[in-house]
Amino acid sequence: MIDRQIPQERLELLWVLAYGAALIFIIRLVNLQVVGGAHYRELAEKNRTQVIAQAAPRGRIFSSDEVALATSKPSFSLIYFPGQAKTNAEIDRMAKALSRPLGADYDDLRKSIYRAASREKPVRLAENLPPKIMLSLSELKAVYPGIDIIVEARRYYPFGAYLSHLIGYIGKIDSRDWTALSKDKNYSMDSRLGKAGLEKMYEGVLKGKDGGIYLEVDSRGKVNKVLESRKWVPGADIFLTVDSKAQAAAEQGLKKSISGKGAVVALDPRTGAIIAFASAPDYDPNMFVLSGSEREGLPAGKILPEFNVALQGTYPPGSVFKIITSAAILESGRVRPEDKVFCPGYYDAGDRVFKCDEKRGHGNLDFIGGLAKSCNVYFYVNGQRSGALTIEKYARAFRLGQTSGIALPDEKPGNVFGPSARAAKKSYWFIGDTLNLAIGQGETLITPMQAAGVISAVANRGTFYRPYYVERIVKSDGQLLYKGKPEKLSTVEMKDSTWELMREGLHSVVEEGTGQVAQIKGAEIYGKTGTAQNPHGKDHAWFVAYATVNDQPSKIAVAVLVENGGHGAASAAPIAKAVIEAALRYDLKPKTPTTPAQPEKARAPSLPQAPVPAKGEL
Amino acid sequence: MIFTPQGGLKKNRMDWLLFLSVLILLAIGTVSIISSVAVLPNQARIVRVQFMAIPMALLAFSAAWSLNYQVYQDQWKYVYGLLLVMLAGVLLFGVVDKGSRSWYRLPFFSIQPSEFARVGLILVLANFLDKRIGKIKELQTVLGAFALCVPVFFLLIKQPDFSGILLTFPVAIIMLFAAGASLFHLSIILGYAFISGLFPILWSIINLNPELLDNTLVSYFFHLSDSGWSAFSFAAAVAVGAWMLWRLSVKLYTNVTGLYFAGAALVLILGFFSGVLVKHQMKEYQQKRLEVFLSPETDPRGAGYNLMQARIAIGSGGILGRGIFSGTQSRLGFVPERHTDFILAVVGEEMGFWGMLLVTGFYVILMGRIMQGARLARDRFGYLVNCGIFGMFLVYFCINFGMLLGLAPVAGVPLPLVSYGGSNLVAMMAAVGIAESVYARRYALV
Repeated sequence: MIDRQIPQERLELLWVLAYGAALIFIIRLVNLQVVGGAHYRELAEKNRTQVIAQAAPRGRIFSSDEVALATSKPSFSLIYFPGQAKTNAEIDRMAKALSRPLGADYDDLRKSIYRAASREKPVRLAENLPPKIMLSLSELKAVYPGIDIIVEARRYYPFGAYLSHLIGYIGKIDSRDWTALSKDKNYSMDSRLGKAGLEKMYEGVLKGKDGGIYLEVDSRGKVNKVLESRKWVPGADIFLTVDSKAQAAAEQGLKKSISGKGAVVALDPRTGAIIAFASAPDYDPNMFVLSGSEREGLPAGKILPEFNVALQGTYPPGSVFKIITSAAILESGRVRPEDKVFCPGYYDAGDRVFKCDEKRGHGNLDFIGGLAKSCNVYFYVNGQRSGALTIEKYARAFRLGQTSGIALPDEKPGNVFGPSARAAKKSYWFIGDTLNLAIGQGETLITPMQAAGVISAVANRGTFYRPYYVERIVKSDGQLLYKGKPEKLSTVEMKDSTWELMREGLHSVVEEGTGQVAQIKGAEIYGKTGTAQNPHGKDHAWFVAYATVNDQPSKIAVAVLVENGGHGAASAAPIAKAVIEAALRYDLKPKTPTTPAQPEKARAPSLPQAPVPAKGEL
Repeated sequence: MIFTPQGGLKKNRMDWLLFLSVLILLAIGTVSIISSVAVLPNQARIVRVQFMAIPMALLAFSAAWSLNYQVYQDQWKYVYGLLLVMLAGVLLFGVVDKGSRSWYRLPFFSIQPSEFARVGLILVLANFLDKRIGKIKELQTVLGAFALCVPVFFLLIKQPDFSGILLTFPVAIIMLFAAGASLFHLSIILGYAFISGLFPILWSIINLNPELLDNTLVSYFFHLSDSGWSAFSFAAAVAVGAWMLWRLSVKLYTNVTGLYFAGAALVLILGFFSGVLVKHQMKEYQQKRLEVFLSPETDPRGAGYNLMQARIAIGSGGILGRGIFSGTQSRLGFVPERHTDFILAVVGEEMGFWGMLLVTGFYVILMGRIMQGARLARDRFGYLVNCGIFGMFLVYFCINFGMLLGLAPVAGVPLPLVSYGGSNLVAMMAAVGIAESVYARRYALV
């Protein structure tokens, strides 16, 4: 070979260079592919799949006559998928373009997109888009990849504030909920959940199983194909015992009343089922569906009227308490019902004079007359005869001072006072206390729910049921999940004659006494008015009543409270009458109860929506 | 010894192993290109160009193989002239694509002359070094070789095409090294290149960490490149510093010639000035790439994102790969430039570790066979030509792999024979053809 003046060792050195580089690369490849293969595979999968969570429609809520009180309706949401628009400049531009049609703050929008981009998770930028905006958004959709408009089921309360205190409302998950639910696969950061009332209590059954579409997307965030589509399962439907018309009558009555504040509770004395449950002031639960927290949804400066008067409002019972005093008087055995008491219009208790409502005096009254006229003097005298301890005993027997046991939170027990309660407090009992106790003034405080319980017990002769409002829960596939059953809590044992006399007395209240406003043609009404003295303003008006038709067991007992309503007969009794009429509309109108179909429409009070013809009453 | 001399004594006119490895790399590349562009809007055009380029590349290979390589030595002036004209012409008649004016637009395809110029320059350099082999140890020879490169570099900067320089410069060094140039001279050149690369990198680091500017010395250094006066003051300071060090060494009787100090100062100053030049010529995206390499976490959504996605693609392939035409990372577009610079990400994802091993292995075989051609060449020119071609493949191989595996900055360098790119494929096949020609004519009388 010719001498080419080639330094051989330099050739070898170059060769080693190539060899060494290849070796380093292979070592690095082993590290990447063999050792880290599984890790990178996971990252690649995360890259290409995008999940659109689809919130399952929440279970609907129906009244007993199958009027939908809470349902779902389709709404359009603007979603951002982290895809191509990832650089900060692109996001800024997109946020600027979107902020005008959405009317949203540019900074907030940008921040939420940034967060979504860094977490690689889709985010809802706006919900419940009105059609006007949709058009301009769909134009922007073409310009900015990554944003999309999707349809979702959104909670909707067709009648607004109707039954709001029982139904409650739903809202966005907040940090407190999130700590409790973050492990639950069915909830994500933007899910909704029940925040109050029934929506909260029955969150578990109302919430269905969310579905999702698993999409394969390319780097621009454009959908390539659907990998898997998991169908959602709608939540179970809840059927309430509440009668839509009775409820409407109750709410309208409260709204039209003098103060617009108060509560109506109507129970079925046979079972304890709630027929109407109104509390005013109320709120429109629709306003929380869109916004996050309670505060956001309310108009500025307003406080949520979440206070449930029916359960949480405690008032002196006033003359309504005379039902219990009557029971004590008749059961004590110390007073005969025909014994007359003379009412001069006042009662001299020695150191102090107690007045009767009627300044001129009622004259001679027996038990029926005393109850019908609601004569204070009669109850002062006979209350003293039967004894404060007996009255206290019956107050407790009629479950005052304890919660009704309804499955709703924050119920107040009210207060029962009497000699034994005083003794427990190591204080003294005076004659004046007995007098106040007998006519329901003084320290006694009851809720409208307790008043309804008392009148219901009178109607069914002593039985207290646990009030319930869920008639049945039906799964989306039609399977019965739960059936509401009457639950007996306690009974008041009294002589038959006592019940009969009370019944007669309450009937005469409506027939010839203070509650004549409540008379209904075709039905027998048994009621008691009450005017609770209020040191802070106008008196609170009470009216409790139950009704029977054709001597059948009573189907409805109702308690009405109008705060600062003045006299019970004037402001509370008409509401009770309207509620009873609405609830008994099938029994009242037709002369022959076998054909109840035709006249019902004509008679129906103005309701937001005509209900599905019911299959008879509960 | 890695090669046995006997292996080269067989009288084959063709190095079949070399040709086989070329074909396998080409096949892997073509399959990966077709897979990776499947969802691109211009996929039909890309596939068409690829299938048009393959016959042309094979034609170029055959032509270069059949032609006696010594022609290039005889006609080196024409080769050199042609490549300069091509590069100058593209500045006048070329079209701009991705910010560089480096394409000739022809009716059916475009030609990138810098790919061919790179091969041409190897031939010219080989001739020059062959002629000057007697004076190879002198500095003039080394400088002369670079003087030949300077017009080419100048024209490349004008395009601008930094990756072209990045690829050509090491090839020249490798050829000089193979020719037997003095290591001292080579280290001066390397030092110069190192310094001209170091300055932009240092400035980028300061750019990334603005808090460093609180230090006055750093701040002074950072603003050196701002104006001519500050640059001049730096040069003067370096010269004075070198002179003072030389005086010191004289006083200390160290017996070091002043030449070394002058040389060191000169290298520093020249390197500084070319660093300034590089910094001012660098496009914004190139600056960005450098920054991302230096600290990948600065922009995880931007340039760093691309590199991360490529790494995920390779890693997710695992040992066996996800199957050809089934890679989600590359087919869904998460990997950028997946049919060109990041083609290995596609190979890694779809063919797995074995696919990558195949590419690496055949690349090593390819380079080894070209080197064997150099070893057996009948004359020094052939030897130098093959060394240059070997060096070129080595540089491509190292930069492309290194970039992908996070060992080098993203430089926009394709992997020859595997990546998409018509001009590159034809030029590289021509280069392999020339190497084959050297191998085929290894005996004087064949």
